[in-house]
Amino acid sequence: MSARDARIGRLTAAALRCYPARWRRRHGDEAAELAALLIADGIPAASIVWSYLVGAAREWLAPRPGRSLSTVTAALLAAMCLLGIPAALVAESAPARAAGTTQSQSGAIPPAVKPAPPGAAAGLRHQFTPCRPVLSRHVSVALPAAGRWPLSIEGTAHARSC
Amino acid sequence: MGTREQDVLRRVGEASVLVLISLADGPKHGYALIQDVRQFAGVELGPGTLYGALDRLERLGLIEPLPVDERRHPYRITAPGAAALQVHLDSLERVSAAGRLRLQLGGT
Repeated sequence: MSARDARIGRLTAAALRCYPARWRRRHGDEAAELAALLIADGIPAASIVWSYLVGAAREWLAPRPGRSLSTVTAALLAAMCLLGIPAALVAESAPARAAGTTQSQSGAIPPAVKPAPPGAAAGLRHQFTPCRPVLSRHVSVALPAAGRWPLSIEGTAHARSC
Repeated sequence: MGTREQDVLRRVGEASVLVLISLADGPKHGYALIQDVRQFAGVELGPGTLYGALDRLERLGLIEPLPVDERRHPYRITAPGAAALQVHLDSLERVSAAGRLRLQLGGT
């Protein structure tokens, strides 16, 4: 067996180890043999290993009788951690947070939002926060327009939460 | 009950339907299934996809495993599997005919 074959065999074995033990007991030997046959047919080893990895992920995430939701959730979290999704999410959301939700207090023309009528807000703590559940109210917002300043938009805002 | 409700294969995915079609003319194991599907459909089934489809079809009672031959697990289609495949193929045929007719009417 060449070094390349040995490496492919190790990769396939590693991919098959990602499956649940129940699956490996049933299909493990046949799956390893099948991979060897497909590679001998000229199918790229990488695509076979990838197919097994995707299959393993599906196998863990598919709901089955006797598998609790917490097991599925834990498997999903583990997969996310392995794929580095948290890092990607943090990297993507940081600029959005910086740009999107903070209103400048020193801006020349801040949006003019009328506060909710007394007693209409769900709680005093959120009474003057525009993005919280309130009853329908009249809203007037000043926005920059091309060449003119300000452009006033008026309308009725309904109870929504961010 | 309408045809859509009877068509249990409508939601199982293309790979499962191809596996069921392949098993319609006799039992096969994994490698033979992949080769057969490649031949009649031109689709290269990945081994992970194949085992997912086999497990799904077996859970639905549409196929059943036969005794292990060396390390290989042959499968065969069950009577409900054959009936489900018939319903699904009839449905595909109706959709296909409608599509062809509309292409003709559209003059393209």
